[in-house]
Amino acid sequence: MRVVLYIARRLLFVVPQAIGISVVTFVLVRVLPGDPALVLLGTNATESSIQAVEERLGLDKPLYEQYWLYIKDVAQGDLGTSLITGNPVREDLLDRLPATLELILLGLLLSLLIGIPLGVITALSGSKGWPDRLTSPYGLFAGSIPDFWVGLILILIFYRYLDWVPAPLGQIQIGVSPPDKITGMYVVDSVLTGNWEAFKSSGSRLILPLATLVFVYTAPIVKMTRSSMDEVLNSGFVDHFEALGLSRRSIVLKALKNALPPVVTILGVLFGYLLGGAVLVEIVFSWGGAGQYAVQAIANADFAAIQGFVLIAAVFSLLTYLVVDLLYFALDPRIKY
Amino acid sequence: MAQPAVLADIEGPTPKGGLSRELAYFWYFTRQDRLFLVGLVIVGLSIFLAAFGPYIGPYGPQEIDSASGVALTGPSGDHWFGTDNVGFDVFSRVIAAPRIDLVIALASTALALAIGVPLGAFAGHFGGRPGIPSLLSEALLRVLDVLQAFPIFILALALVSATGASQGNVIAALTFLQAPVFVRLTRGAALSNESKLYVDAARCSGAPERAVAFRHVLPNSLAPALIASSVAVGQAILITAGLSFVGAGVPIPKAEWGLMISQGANQMILGKWWPSLFPGLFLGITVMGYALVGEGLRKFLDPTNRI
Repeated sequence: MRVVLYIARRLLFVVPQAIGISVVTFVLVRVLPGDPALVLLGTNATESSIQAVEERLGLDKPLYEQYWLYIKDVAQGDLGTSLITGNPVREDLLDRLPATLELILLGLLLSLLIGIPLGVITALSGSKGWPDRLTSPYGLFAGSIPDFWVGLILILIFYRYLDWVPAPLGQIQIGVSPPDKITGMYVVDSVLTGNWEAFKSSGSRLILPLATLVFVYTAPIVKMTRSSMDEVLNSGFVDHFEALGLSRRSIVLKALKNALPPVVTILGVLFGYLLGGAVLVEIVFSWGGAGQYAVQAIANADFAAIQGFVLIAAVFSLLTYLVVDLLYFALDPRIKY
Repeated sequence: MAQPAVLADIEGPTPKGGLSRELAYFWYFTRQDRLFLVGLVIVGLSIFLAAFGPYIGPYGPQEIDSASGVALTGPSGDHWFGTDNVGFDVFSRVIAAPRIDLVIALASTALALAIGVPLGAFAGHFGGRPGIPSLLSEALLRVLDVLQAFPIFILALALVSATGASQGNVIAALTFLQAPVFVRLTRGAALSNESKLYVDAARCSGAPERAVAFRHVLPNSLAPALIASSVAVGQAILITAGLSFVGAGVPIPKAEWGLMISQGANQMILGKWWPSLFPGLFLGITVMGYALVGEGLRKFLDPTNRI
């Protein structure tokens, strides 16, 4: 019951934030350079045809009216039509988001599976132990280099020199038909449908972009787990458990549970960042996800597409923060709302 | 700042003695913290290159060596880091790049500090009390909440595209993105300073609230933002490189690390690694240097670390 109340109250906050986001998105897109009517018509546009298009797009109306029309459409799930692809933006995004999400979600999952144990081991062995001598320099290095550069170096080593993986050209080999769509994530779908040919092709193409993300974004997870564990291991209840004679294993597990909230926070931050930030890795591997779509849209002054992407990405991060707060609630019984 | 004579007596050393003691401690600290020293050297070098980099390379940053002017030749005695796809000398460009990357990073961080710190002190000092200033600081925090929901890289991308890809606009966009961090850090510090006695003392001496906020609370709440600013410089370099990489940062053919990586990206598949590898390496070392200095400063300024 407490949880339901908490969720309800927390959701109330989401509404004004979502409105704020839609206003910012709307204003931001209006100040972008480039005339959408010109983009649509090309250089041969005449005065009257420009006017006709502007009328059709509602660009001749005052800003507040444009915003109202926009918000009405969004509420009905209509994000407008892309000027470049000619498709509804919602469909474009639904087509491309799974590719981006597959990359980010699998990347963060692997980073967690590697990062938490590494952080715990480093915290347990202290600042003079060998794990610290490995994880500290690694954290420093991984935190300082651009992810797209890491991707390029991995391509050089594992594609060009070792030839272990296919060329970095998209999610699936041309000629191999993608698996039947369930989630839209190629690797997941090919497993679900038992399509092994598609799995081999898409899986092998996922390795390098995934490795890139894992290499760069495991570092902050290790760092956060380690410092949070350090703190918890020094707290009174650990001494208490030690005095009670609990096994080291069970003490570490209990300490880990209490050390998790900051790790959940950093995970939420990374997810929010990667929604947009993964575009750099997407470009390196010609991934064709939502991020690449957004960059293309910005280059072409494709208003509706930019608006749609930024809106969806911001709403996704809002939801992420909501989930983070809920996880806190689940992990820390002291929190009352 | 002139202190009343009595206070100076109690505190012991004269201002001059205090300063030289600080310097002595700094010197001691630097010698025993090797990583901090490494960071300082990297930061020093990066600033040196930002000032003189474009002039000290064997070639100009946008000069094609007409004698051996071939594109994409590997590292050699003539071209230490090889040449890129245009025929520019990669080494000369790599050391010229701080002129752009560092100026963007340092300028945007300084501006963000100059905007974020006073706003943070304001929000921390006036927040949570009745009155218009409190409402203003609440509104400020809610606006920051909304801004934080946006994916930072896409927001940067949209801002720079909105204003046009140029060095000045990248600085403006980064300032806008970094200022909220400093607002929050300074606000947090200001909040924890509110209950300190010196704030009451300032009030009792008749200082108006504005002066309490900006002349007393603000200077005492600076440390977290200053420490974070070193890391922020590194982040600014990374975002600048990312923006240039997608073509929304510094325009071609300027010598900028991200742009250089992007120009060499297509050559990687063909095994021509030098146009991208070296700029990324220098970028990484620079960002690492600023991170090390930030970490060192945190330890240096932490009074519990002092002997």
